[in-house]
Amino acid sequence: MSAMRKRPPILLLGALFSLSACTLTRPPPFSPAPGATQTPAGSAQPAPGTPAPQSPGATAAPPERPYTPPPKQFRLSAASSALVAQAHTQAAGGDFGQAAATLERALRIEPDNPLLWIELGRARLGENNPAQADAMGRKALALATGDAAAQSSAWHLIADSLRALGRNGDAAEAEQHAQGVASR
Amino acid sequence: MKRVVLFSAAVAVLAALGYLIYLDRLVTKQFEGRRWTLPAQVYAAPLELYAGLPLTPTELEQELQRLHYRRAEKADHPGSYRLSGTQLEVALRPARFADEARPAQQLNMILGPKALESLHDASGHEVPVLRLEPLLIGSIFPIHGEDRIVVAPEEVPALLPAALKAVEDRKFDTHHGVDPSGMLRALWVNMRAGQIEQGGSTLTQQLVRSYFLSSRQTLSRKLREALMAMALDAHFSKADLMNAYINEIFLGQDGDRAIHGFGLASQFYFGKPLAELDLSEVALLVAIVRGPSYYDPRRHADRARLRRDLVLKVMADQGVVKPDEASAAARRPLGVTSRPAGAYYPAYLDFVRRTLRRDYREADLTEAGLRIYTSLEPRVQEDAERALEHELARLDHLHKATKAPLEGAVVVTSPQSGDVSAIVGGRDVGYDGFDRALDARRSMGSLVKPFIYLTALESGRYTAATVIQDAPVDLKLQNGTHWKPENFTHQTYGAVPVVRAISESLNLATVGVGLDLGLPKIAQTLERFGLPQPPVEVPAMLLGAVEVTPLEAAQLFNGLANGGFRNPLRAVRAVIGSDGKALKAFPLEVTQVASPETVYQLDRMLVSVMERGTGRPARALLPPDLTVAGKSGTSSDYRDSWFAGFSGNDLVVVWVGYDDNEPTGFTGSAGALPVWARVMAGLGPRSWDSAMPESLIEVHIDFDTGLRAMPGCSDDLVAVAVPAGTELPAKPGCAFPEASTQATTPNPITRLKDRAEHWLQGLVH
Repeated sequence: MSAMRKRPPILLLGALFSLSACTLTRPPPFSPAPGATQTPAGSAQPAPGTPAPQSPGATAAPPERPYTPPPKQFRLSAASSALVAQAHTQAAGGDFGQAAATLERALRIEPDNPLLWIELGRARLGENNPAQADAMGRKALALATGDAAAQSSAWHLIADSLRALGRNGDAAEAEQHAQGVASR
Repeated sequence: MKRVVLFSAAVAVLAALGYLIYLDRLVTKQFEGRRWTLPAQVYAAPLELYAGLPLTPTELEQELQRLHYRRAEKADHPGSYRLSGTQLEVALRPARFADEARPAQQLNMILGPKALESLHDASGHEVPVLRLEPLLIGSIFPIHGEDRIVVAPEEVPALLPAALKAVEDRKFDTHHGVDPSGMLRALWVNMRAGQIEQGGSTLTQQLVRSYFLSSRQTLSRKLREALMAMALDAHFSKADLMNAYINEIFLGQDGDRAIHGFGLASQFYFGKPLAELDLSEVALLVAIVRGPSYYDPRRHADRARLRRDLVLKVMADQGVVKPDEASAAARRPLGVTSRPAGAYYPAYLDFVRRTLRRDYREADLTEAGLRIYTSLEPRVQEDAERALEHELARLDHLHKATKAPLEGAVVVTSPQSGDVSAIVGGRDVGYDGFDRALDARRSMGSLVKPFIYLTALESGRYTAATVIQDAPVDLKLQNGTHWKPENFTHQTYGAVPVVRAISESLNLATVGVGLDLGLPKIAQTLERFGLPQPPVEVPAMLLGAVEVTPLEAAQLFNGLANGGFRNPLRAVRAVIGSDGKALKAFPLEVTQVASPETVYQLDRMLVSVMERGTGRPARALLPPDLTVAGKSGTSSDYRDSWFAGFSGNDLVVVWVGYDDNEPTGFTGSAGALPVWARVMAGLGPRSWDSAMPESLIEVHIDFDTGLRAMPGCSDDLVAVAVPAGTELPAKPGCAFPEASTQATTPNPITRLKDRAEHWLQGLVH
């Protein structure tokens, strides 16, 4: 259950520059489909980070931004932090089932937070359920877009789970992913 | 002669003794065994309180009132709260959850206009997170059986035994099970009235009668009852007998369910624990003892009130309470809730029962005192019930026909956890009968299309922008007949991009794609997402000739709402034994059944369905800036009207149709969609805003032609997600800058580094 403690240094930068690292950072929603909520001819608000068109009629401007996931750093809300701390205590006492139940409470509050899925995966690993731990790692990975540290933690969890499943080759590959995203 | 008499007397005495011993054994065994037959109690999901919880002050107060907390000047008794301005003080009751127990405690909250701002305990320490107690939503009792909540002596307000003694059995503390003077008094009253008006039975006798379920008052039964009462009195303490009486006695009927004991009666009539009842409420329950049907406070409020006031008067006469207290209590209204608590979500409880019957014998559920914790969210459940009833009434009105009323079903889940938060099995929500959410197996119609297009995306040969042909289909089937499906409009649309084919639910284009991919592939996709039986692989499968229940449809769409991860839909979270130990947990499980990339591309198209396709009419009922994704479904001849769709935090599936499978005349958009939109709007939805996987890009294409376009050179643009590097032909007249014809995804970390450097330079200067 130590996924949170191993933070690569890149994360410090992430923390410094993350523009909206409040309790739960989210990417800005994608621009809505035109036609339904926009009138044509460029009256839409540019999404954050999109270069503004030079003039309203500038058809030479790029038609859409190449997608850049906004860099972000997932954090736990105060409620989740308290529950994760409680889960750590329960896990330390060997009660991984209780720890998992406590983490599920946190996930109901923040279902999109990859850090909680990683925690739950760690608890599953403690319960000797590496298949579920692996699945939780992959779920975390899918949610962690833009957060290199969370992606790296998810890959570490996946690697540990695969090792526990006896899939050492796949585990080594996952470990490389973990190093790769961490050093990006 | 004398010896014969003596002998006969001896035999008679022996026989009588034997009979006495038999009665003694019988009643003792019953008394001791009785303590353990407790129906399983089923609880809703507890509400988690934390700073930022998106509930308005009104909604929060409603949640407290749902648990029958009382507003008071001071929140000093468990079960009361004080609300002044933005400050809410609650005296929480003790609560038992699946994983822990929490003692009664004081909680002070600061309420914001849209969300809970902060929580503190009595000593001012911040509380990060805390649960309200879970609402009791019912129990699993035997068919035509007894339901009860057993209370310990310390959970019983002192007024109750005192009132029972004053009204029913004044000499309870001193008699030996029977009270001859009371019987004589009853005899006198009954003789004068010429009919049986007073029982004259002691509480102990009433207890015996309740054990052996006979209300016939013949003389021999009375004698037997008296003997057994004496036996009980000899064996057990008065306190044990009083507690047994309080838990045993019949106090109401609710359909098949017999309400036994004051613990359940308190919940049944007042919706709160016995310990919190005030004088007038205790008096009402004591009044009901004499005739739960005759004095039913919901059906015969006047009679019940007269008898309650009589009980209050007797209590004052007997010195149990002061006369002014009694008269003050008599001025209070009856205070019963409008509908009984518990067992009012029959469709949900049905799912709970079915889940548990895989693991437990019927007797374990109805007798072993289990506590079952579920995912039901009462607010969501009640909203869904109301939405279905409201919209079906409107649709019936549109028909103006003599047809039987339309029926429907609703399932609501939290996609990430697979928690089922609500199940509505029909429009008569209190009716414990045909549960359409679980048992109505109907053609899924166009709900199948997302799974066909997901299979197409997975093949690598299709994207949202791929142009496909919506053209006539004529397939010769094995039996020699021809299958010639049509679009709903009976027109063909020619070359259309995939995103348009799904948004407008074009049948012919979809059949073309499905035949190209092959039926087995599509069947596999459905099975991966949780279809329980393999579908029959006939071409009509591509138009949804696959039978599913609304719950199964929810299982299938849950995987789409959860980014390609399947989780078994759960109603039950945990089962706790009567000793408080967890017997079984149903932990959260996820299985990846599709890549997040393909599911994201598909989900973006399901957003287009809502923005500009068959889901568009929902917009009128939803907040304007809300992003949701969904798909309509209509089976052949309009027999079934479906809508399945999700926001960022909820999945809602709605089915509307007739029980006899007659055509409804409604498409998915006309029948199920308004129900869906109403349920969704009530959920307080958060936009669907999954982060786009890094290997994808967002491009704008022309909705009609699928050609790459941009604002200014197309009147009909749609944004889709496609794999980075996808080559897209540009619409003539759209001048794209060189760099953007093949889109790429820059590394986010590069951007981060650039910004870091800028920042460092800023520091240096």
